[in-house]
Amino acid sequence: MGYSAHTETPAAARNWLDDYAAPAGTGDLYRDASPAVAAKWRGIAAALDALAGGEPAGLEETTARHIADLGLTFRVTGEDDERNWPMTSMPVIIGADEWQGIERGLVQRARLLEALAADIYGPQRLVEQGHLPAAVVAGSPYFARKMLGHGPKSGHFIHVYAADLARGPQGGWRVLQDRVRLATGIGYALENRLAMSRTADALLSQYHVRRMANFFSRLREGIATDCRREQPRIALLTPGRFNQTYAEQAHLARYLGLPLVEGRDLSVVEEKLYVGTIAGPKRVDALWRWVNTNALDPLSFDSRSQLGVANLFDAWAAGGLEMVNWPGVEVLESPAFSAFLPRLCRILLGEAPLLPTVATWWCGQAAEASTVEQRFDTLALLPAFGEPVDVLDRIAPVAGASFDPARRAALSDAIARRPMDYCGQEIVQLSTSPTMIEGHMVPRPFTLRLFVARTEDGDWCVMPGGFARLSIGDELPTSLMGEGDLSADVWVVDEATPAKVAPGTQRHEPPISRGAGILAGQAADNLFWFGRYNERAELTVRIVRSILGSSIEMDAIHADKDEVRRTLVDLLRSWDAIGPETVREPYPVICGKALSEDLNQGGVATLLRRRFEVGLGMRERFSRDLWRIVSRPMPTIEIARPVSMLSNTRWLTEHFSALAGLASENMVRGSAWRFLEIGKRMERAIGTTRIARRLLDVEANFEALGTLLDLCDSQIIYRARYLAGPMRNPVIDLVLLDPANPRALAFQVATIVEQLAGLPTIREDGLPEEPLRQARTLRAVLEEARADEVEWSWLDRIEARLLALSEEISTRYFLQFERDDALRRSLLG
Amino acid sequence: MKYAVSHLTTLRYAEPVRMAQFAVRLRPARWPGQHVRDYEFTVDPRPVAILEGEGGYFINESKFELREPISQLTVNSRFVVDREPLPASVTTGFGPCLADLRELAMSRPDLSPLGPASYIFASPIARPEREIAMWAAEFLDAAMPVMDAGRALMRAVGERFAYDNSATYPDTQPIEAFNSRRGVCQDFAHVMIVAARAHGIPAGYVSGYLRTQAPPGQERLVGADAMHAWVCLWCGDALGWVGFDPTNDMLADAEHIFIGMGRDYSDVAPFDGRFHGNAQQTMLFSVDVAPLD
Repeated sequence: MGYSAHTETPAAARNWLDDYAAPAGTGDLYRDASPAVAAKWRGIAAALDALAGGEPAGLEETTARHIADLGLTFRVTGEDDERNWPMTSMPVIIGADEWQGIERGLVQRARLLEALAADIYGPQRLVEQGHLPAAVVAGSPYFARKMLGHGPKSGHFIHVYAADLARGPQGGWRVLQDRVRLATGIGYALENRLAMSRTADALLSQYHVRRMANFFSRLREGIATDCRREQPRIALLTPGRFNQTYAEQAHLARYLGLPLVEGRDLSVVEEKLYVGTIAGPKRVDALWRWVNTNALDPLSFDSRSQLGVANLFDAWAAGGLEMVNWPGVEVLESPAFSAFLPRLCRILLGEAPLLPTVATWWCGQAAEASTVEQRFDTLALLPAFGEPVDVLDRIAPVAGASFDPARRAALSDAIARRPMDYCGQEIVQLSTSPTMIEGHMVPRPFTLRLFVARTEDGDWCVMPGGFARLSIGDELPTSLMGEGDLSADVWVVDEATPAKVAPGTQRHEPPISRGAGILAGQAADNLFWFGRYNERAELTVRIVRSILGSSIEMDAIHADKDEVRRTLVDLLRSWDAIGPETVREPYPVICGKALSEDLNQGGVATLLRRRFEVGLGMRERFSRDLWRIVSRPMPTIEIARPVSMLSNTRWLTEHFSALAGLASENMVRGSAWRFLEIGKRMERAIGTTRIARRLLDVEANFEALGTLLDLCDSQIIYRARYLAGPMRNPVIDLVLLDPANPRALAFQVATIVEQLAGLPTIREDGLPEEPLRQARTLRAVLEEARADEVEWSWLDRIEARLLALSEEISTRYFLQFERDDALRRSLLG
Repeated sequence: MKYAVSHLTTLRYAEPVRMAQFAVRLRPARWPGQHVRDYEFTVDPRPVAILEGEGGYFINESKFELREPISQLTVNSRFVVDREPLPASVTTGFGPCLADLRELAMSRPDLSPLGPASYIFASPIARPEREIAMWAAEFLDAAMPVMDAGRALMRAVGERFAYDNSATYPDTQPIEAFNSRRGVCQDFAHVMIVAARAHGIPAGYVSGYLRTQAPPGQERLVGADAMHAWVCLWCGDALGWVGFDPTNDMLADAEHIFIGMGRDYSDVAPFDGRFHGNAQQTMLFSVDVAPLD
């Protein structure tokens, strides 16, 4: 720790790093930093301390809040629930000199991997000439034999490359793993930076921290250039909202302005890829895939895949589709490959590797196998191809010394049978970086995930920064984040501001556009159902509140009220908000179950869960505030305390209002908004019709009509219009036929007509599309209806028409792809 | 032996479906000792085009799509094949011992669809299973010639597993069939593949046919009225790929007609398809392998 550090921050009487004690010889990033870089560490620590107001926990809370605002979550493998993203505010700081070495090394490595992919899927000279055993290629579960001879027309197999790096005790960097299949972490690196710039933007400038925005725009332009078409459409192909890193994919798509599509949104016609949108099919020029090659095309690769697109292979093979990265490049990720990289680098590039790879021995070769056997206790053992194998049931390296005699014997036996499944690897020691743990700076072992993109000129560009993972132990990461890990932003600091590239500005100003981009059929479907689930939940809450409210009141035993309550309970049962066994329970129990029991399809808890699930798939379309409300957990329902349940229903009602308000104030009035509206109006129309039909049937007319007004939130208007209490025809007119009442049936249908009319048409003859035609007919029926004509069967017919309209909307706008399961029935004897 | 093979498949949909896309893998790939002629592949209604190509492994692929709505589809694959009996060099050969065979397979600089390196590792359906490996170890040792090893595995599966076409489904994993010791040719082939690979023997899954009528005085072979599956083991440079039929405990010979080979069923599945629409589908097929002489 140089004196210069102290002299540069004289104002800081105290610094988080003052009592930082990293043991000598561990290669701590701060302790070993040059005086200039160490000064930056101290300066940044002091500034963060100042921001924290002397309370480190406060700073961590601020950062956590920014992270939550960004909506960033992740899932641990094998878990269903999303967790909050664990990030610490103290960045990992790397000086420009040290960074330059990393940068050069990574660019060389990207070139090497590109050359390797081109050889493996091209002339295969490396195998032919004996530089690379055929088994190292064929052993990978990702080797896509079908891709042989089908290289990219652009000549670019790799657009995005990620690498995990470790820094050793001597300060040397080495590559732990190459990632060309998925650049997992790239979105989190971006989000970490966004969160940090919210917390401490001034610091980023003050300390000349390199900015990331340029990296992302160059990556995007690199893909666009290879599409060889003006204004190409680049889409991000996601496995879907249940994928572990879906949140990351959604953020990335939103940040880069790429449509987020699923396989079922896409189809290939005459070797070109189209996305099914509500305005008909639209050409897609490039896919940034977050789907494994094997799952990309069920007719060419794994037929069990539900994530892919039939004949996608034909589209890219014919040159009409750019893939990021090119299918099959995953083969390069096998640990077995690492053993050959240093040599292949010399052969393919004629250069010595700038960044060493973690030393690896592949047991598929006799000499290497015996090395591993001899040095067993000082090496780590791991499966050679990234998939569990006999005895090694995890893909992470395991120290040989940790094996007990029985397990070691089992492993030796397994290696003797199938040596090619195993690798030995040097045990990597990680150096540490100062990490804020419970108010103190503590050394924590770290690894970095860094990203390289191909730019518009075909060259490579390294993201200046990345994703740091700080772990409790020395174990190497096998997934993005493990239990107890923290992530941190990576700051590459220059001595002075580098040649100015304004942060966030693109090189070419894009043409002005007001479109919200395309709307895939699948997304429209989700929006529609989001609207419907939300509205149904709201209606159910209103009914529950009505039952609960009247049963708490003093005159709860009043017979008329009881008949109405029974009717409402029957209604809850009819849309499966409660189970059949619940119907005879006391009212508070019925209400509590309708709110909280998630066994029934129509219960509030189920509806809100469904809403959340379809919402997950559209997160990138919602404002963050809106999403925060959607993901807020339900209040705890205490069935034993009806009064508290009543306040739960109020909470829920406010929840729905807040959501409606945000949607209405913040969403652009494009097609996405229209589908949300159509779903909501459709559900409200159906619900109102059903409620009216049942309540108009009740003999206790006065009570029933009052409840109907209540459920339709029309009490106030009614009282303003009529002096008398609720009477049949005036109530019917107000809640069903009055097009000016936003709760009335007629208003819902009129809105549906208006929204449908605003959607793009695919008819060329100028006639209205079928859903619009049906909606207009229904509107006309309501316009000419008179209150005294409205009775049970009329309402029944209206409901049938609404359901038919909903069906018609699905058929027209939401694609229906079916998996051809029957074909998989065996033909075999 | 000369055979006329006819394989007719009919698909019916409860409601019309559109944009039906198929990959059919029925045209026999070129295979030693087998000569195919007069291959005919017809689809009704007629697609715009039938694209003939190769799958990723040693298998032919015919791809076509029907954009207009269809409610029925028939696919007819017919050919005449001349099948030579196995040469004595194979039936009486031994091949290298397992330890040498593995080294040989690993050292061949061959990534082609018949290169042994591609058939020695786990594949989508034929995943490694410790239990199957241990079970197979009873019949094998490293010094055993590969032909003996193949026969031992084939016999073990043939004798210890019960043929039961109600016990498994197309999606049945090898380990499930292994645990119940029941299944059909597909399951037996998969179990044998997993067992062979566990001991370093390159093993492929063969899709094909068996002659329908038994020669006079012999019993009709199991699985003859449908497609059949067996296993090819790579038996060294001299013998190459040799077919072992665990269902019938015999080497694949003049009664076995080869269509293609992959790592497991997923590489050579005879029919894959996708369509748009929401309709129940039924599939009927008839396979006839008639001796011509």
